Amino acid sequence: MRQVDGWLRPLGVAGWVALVGLVVFVVLAVGAALGLWAAGFEGAVAREHLSPGPAAWLGTDALGRDLLARTLQGARVSLVVGGGAALGLVTIGAALGAFAGLRGGWIDRLLAGLCDALAAIPPVVTLLGAALLLRPGLATAIAAIALTQWHGVFRSVRAEALRMRSADHDRAARAMGAGTWHRVRWHLLPRLRPLLVTSLVLCFVYAVKVEALLAYFGASAQSLPSWGRLLAETGSELARGIWWPTLAASVPLASLVLCAQVLADRLGDGEPRG
Amino acid sequence: MWLRRLLVAAATLALVSALVFLVVDALADRAALDLGRGASPEALAARRHLLGLDRPIGTRLFEHVASAMSFELGESARLGVPVRVLIWRAALPTLAYALPGFLLATLVSLLGGVVAARRRGLVDRVLLAVATLLMSCSSVIVVVLGQYLLAHRMRWFPVLGWPLTGDPRPLLGFVLLPALLWALIQLGPDLRHYRAIFVRELAAPHVEGMRARGLAERRVVLRVLRGAAAPVLARVSARLPQLVLGSVVVEHVFNVPGLGALLVAAVRDADLAVVQGVAFCLAAATIAGQALCDLLVPVLDPRTRAREAGR
Repeated sequence: MRQVDGWLRPLGVAGWVALVGLVVFVVLAVGAALGLWAAGFEGAVAREHLSPGPAAWLGTDALGRDLLARTLQGARVSLVVGGGAALGLVTIGAALGAFAGLRGGWIDRLLAGLCDALAAIPPVVTLLGAALLLRPGLATAIAAIALTQWHGVFRSVRAEALRMRSADHDRAARAMGAGTWHRVRWHLLPRLRPLLVTSLVLCFVYAVKVEALLAYFGASAQSLPSWGRLLAETGSELARGIWWPTLAASVPLASLVLCAQVLADRLGDGEPRG
Repeated sequence: MWLRRLLVAAATLALVSALVFLVVDALADRAALDLGRGASPEALAARRHLLGLDRPIGTRLFEHVASAMSFELGESARLGVPVRVLIWRAALPTLAYALPGFLLATLVSLLGGVVAARRRGLVDRVLLAVATLLMSCSSVIVVVLGQYLLAHRMRWFPVLGWPLTGDPRPLLGFVLLPALLWALIQLGPDLRHYRAIFVRELAAPHVEGMRARGLAERRVVLRVLRGAAAPVLARVSARLPQLVLGSVVVEHVFNVPGLGALLVAAVRDADLAVVQGVAFCLAAATIAGQALCDLLVPVLDPRTRAREAGR
């Protein structure tokens, strides 16, 4: 285990490369959202199934749309769902975990039971079910992930809160009359910081992968092209030797996840896990 | 202790079933789904009465949980077949490819984990990089590219399909590629996980003690394996629901009539009873796996037995 100095662990070369990769993805996606690089190829319909070349850098799809533009739009969907779901999930899990761990008693037991029950339902069932029973879309995908998958973060935060409750410094703080809010802000949060940052990145990885799966089954964003949907649309074209649409979706998806995963590994305790 | 664990498991399962019922009840209106859009309010009310949806929610919740706990999962609204029969029929095709895939992935990743943790150096780095790369490829990518490369390009396997007759010989050809890809999907995270377990075990003080006393390296490794049995078992039991559900993507792409395909079809047709039934059965598998793991760990690892007794 590496030494913790400051509030984050040193990233190392691989970690910095991964971080820069993530920033590049964010810049590309924001640019695509603002329409910065739209001029030139967006909406310009060329011949269908044009292979990659100077006219269309990544080729065109079955309807003659430029694949580079669609891929950049897909980055937007993945980043929004990944970021939004990770933020929501970690917030819910951490808040409930801190609450349960510091309160103890029957509230703690009830929340832990609820967490066990939620964890017992495989995510595919909950997510596909929720995303399709409701109207499929960006917000639905984010809400479905954030509301049903918080049990992992809950467990680790609760364990940390329980550990803190039996620590001397917390006992002293309580004896001096510190309120729950004070204990959370000044005692629990500093302890949790590395855990929360790592969880945030790991949940981002998870949410991006899940979004691709949901989109593959048509249960994610409807009006925007996403990588999962691109993969679903182009699966049959691949058999006819039209490889570039599949590549245009899978290479960025895998690299985004890889960047975030490497970053999470560097932020974690030094032993990468699955 | 056995009885207590069993009771906890049953209570969790009942909670799952109540949770699923409440969520589905809040999100979907069975009567409106049956009659379609544009049904008159009177027709909807009559349909609700017929389905018993106008009774108080507490009564319905109790009835649902009670019947689910005795594995009475209701009837599919689209097919008119009991959900239990549907799930039973779909479980066999899923097991046919998921079990070999699971065994392959577990064996390879355990082996890779031991080798990586023992060698630490270049071998470790390469294995770790491959595992991380595999893990970063969404299952959709693995399945789509795997089907293209191995079935379309190489023609080593049939592209997709599932034999309808009971003859097991053609089955083998159709099972191989889904099993292989399913193993590949699990391999990345599993290898990383097992490697982390063995790294931690090998760094334990008693391993240094064994080496200091001049125990042969092979025997040290054997003992470390025994010591790692509990966390490995925990991981295997956590994989149990995936063994039952298989992969929705694999089944979708290869047309396997398994549980994942059943789930996707049921969700698409808004066949609520089937979705609830699949969720319930998988939760039962998960909870059973956890309970089994909790009961087996003290048998395998004396340290936890001592901890139990000391409590």
